[in-house]
Amino acid sequence: MKTTTSIIAALSFAALSAAPVLAQETIKLGAPLALTGPLADAGAKSKQGYDICVSAVNDKGGVDVGGKKMKLELVEYDYQSETNRAVQIVQRLINVDKVPFLLSPYGSGDTKATAVVAERYGVPMVAAAAATKSVFDQKFQNLFGVLFPNDMITEAEVAYYKKHVPSVKRVAVLALNSLFPKAIAGEMVKSATGAGLDVVFNTTYSPDTSDFSNVLTQIKGLNPDWIYATGYTQDLILIRRQMADLGLEVKVLTMTAGPSYPEFKENVKSLAENVTTNSWWHQNANYSDNYLFGSSLKYNEAFNAKFKRDATYLEAAATAACQTLAMAIEEAKSTSADAVRKVLHEKTFNTFYGPIHYGQLGQNEVNAALVMQIQNDKLLVLAPENLKQGELQIGVPKK
Amino acid sequence: MISQYIVNGLLTGGLYACLAVGFSLVWGVLNVVNMLHGSMVVLGAYFCLYGVQQLGLPLYAVAPVACVILFVFGYAIQRGLLNRVITQPILITLTLTFGLDLIVNNLIIHVFSATPQSLVTNFGTIEFAGVRVPVVRVGGMLVAVVLTLVLYWLLRHSKIGRAIIAVRMDRHAAALMGIRIPHIYALTFGIGAFMAGAAGCAMALIYPVTPMMSGVFLGKAFVICVLGGLGSVPGAIIGGLVLGVVEGLGTLTLGQQWATSVGFIMMMAVIVLFPTGIMGKKGYE
Repeated sequence: MKTTTSIIAALSFAALSAAPVLAQETIKLGAPLALTGPLADAGAKSKQGYDICVSAVNDKGGVDVGGKKMKLELVEYDYQSETNRAVQIVQRLINVDKVPFLLSPYGSGDTKATAVVAERYGVPMVAAAAATKSVFDQKFQNLFGVLFPNDMITEAEVAYYKKHVPSVKRVAVLALNSLFPKAIAGEMVKSATGAGLDVVFNTTYSPDTSDFSNVLTQIKGLNPDWIYATGYTQDLILIRRQMADLGLEVKVLTMTAGPSYPEFKENVKSLAENVTTNSWWHQNANYSDNYLFGSSLKYNEAFNAKFKRDATYLEAAATAACQTLAMAIEEAKSTSADAVRKVLHEKTFNTFYGPIHYGQLGQNEVNAALVMQIQNDKLLVLAPENLKQGELQIGVPKK
Repeated sequence: MISQYIVNGLLTGGLYACLAVGFSLVWGVLNVVNMLHGSMVVLGAYFCLYGVQQLGLPLYAVAPVACVILFVFGYAIQRGLLNRVITQPILITLTLTFGLDLIVNNLIIHVFSATPQSLVTNFGTIEFAGVRVPVVRVGGMLVAVVLTLVLYWLLRHSKIGRAIIAVRMDRHAAALMGIRIPHIYALTFGIGAFMAGAAGCAMALIYPVTPMMSGVFLGKAFVICVLGGLGSVPGAIIGGLVLGVVEGLGTLTLGQQWATSVGFIMMMAVIVLFPTGIMGKKGYE
């Protein structure tokens, strides 16, 4: 009995003595994640993106901080898709867990709310899923965003369809009443109007909408050539189905960002054909990455091996957020917030996600907008020209 | 065009009715605001999805099983947990079901994930005088309304149904008549869960199902219950249809962003002007 007690005491002492040493060996990345609540699906995807980055960095020995290898450690909490909780968790990550760096929660709204806390404490935060300009125009020094601004996407889309479907004149825009969908819909209206298109319908819907038949009946009466819908994937699935129910036909149907995810096709089957979308990233862009994965395609292979499906821009952006932090720490040769922040502002990071340059405003300035369409059950890149995988198919199936 | 809006509203309203009837019954009979109801609808939807997609069984075989599982689940919840606090103020049972809702909803996310899933069907549409009616919605609505009417008939004409109504009218008198109150309570909650399961199966045909829909379903059930009258089965049908049509007309006049708010404004007006709801005056059947 005495021996057992002595062994336990010795082991406890060893564990306690080792704890500070282990803690010094890792670089903590604080991650508030929406693992439950309305954003649970997107939250789970973000987590996959972070996890593959952390494991890839650690598999190669960790981050080289001035010759000393330090492993990454993800400190994560579920903020239940509630903005207030996300803010509390970021405070906890900074004050209790003492994380030196943060990854932002999902979406522009929650990123904007939590960025205030990160700024107050001077902790660099990299956002993987915030593209709205108003998140980054607060002149915060600690907020960085992987996704380039929404207007780069809508400008690319309008230019493409105007060139390839000159008969498109009338546009209807329908957006979820939430920061990102409203912002990209607003940019779409600006881009379309600027290009001389007639925006015949522009409205939002509330997050608890369970039926779109009435608003689609309204849109049908206006006879648009192009419908631009943006919101949660489940909303877009229902909108596409109810369009078919009502016999609503258009030359171009663009949905942001549902069709980028495989579940969109799985839930609408043949109705997914010819639905167009946009993206910040696709593996076929095949950017080279000398730091971690090799290239976009190799990143996707690694992701597929781990999670048994292709990565979308969302997981890729999460990985890129984590990767640029690791690269900045190596470049700074330090884990000091000041040194890493300086590198994040100045350096152009060449990653599997493409070149990322955060610049002074903090939002990635490198435009690599993709116009995409589902054809024969595959998501193909239509533009830019150098990545083109197919020609635009006009019109969507009736059923 | 207005006829299309009304048809849209009626089709949605029929589903709303099925969604709300179990919630209304439990509130009316047990005086329990069942915050778990939305998650039970979602659970029913996932059982149907699992049976059809994973086990390859036809929906008509899976749906009754899903409803029975929900019934057993509901019976057990009431018998094992809610009966222990049923005599406490309504806030206690509300809090308990709220807690259960959080647990069940998170379990659903862990087991089925939050990725949208649905039964993809293509039964086509019927077009009449310029109005398009999707067959799957008509089917879903008919099943919902028929089940609701069957429940109404059972409550009025079966021994158990009369016992449920008796307990609602006067619990103490019913006990003196030899009715086993805890059993009737559990049975009522079980029936509420059964109807939630049926609504879930109908929803899986029409909506992409995610665990997060539970909040939306609960909100609709709440409005319909107040509109139709607590505990009133025909009230749930009327309330559902009224809500569906009012939301449709709200979209037409005020825009889609206000459609849901119109329903809640109507609910507040009914609470102030007709506290018993449209059908809640005559009794609880």
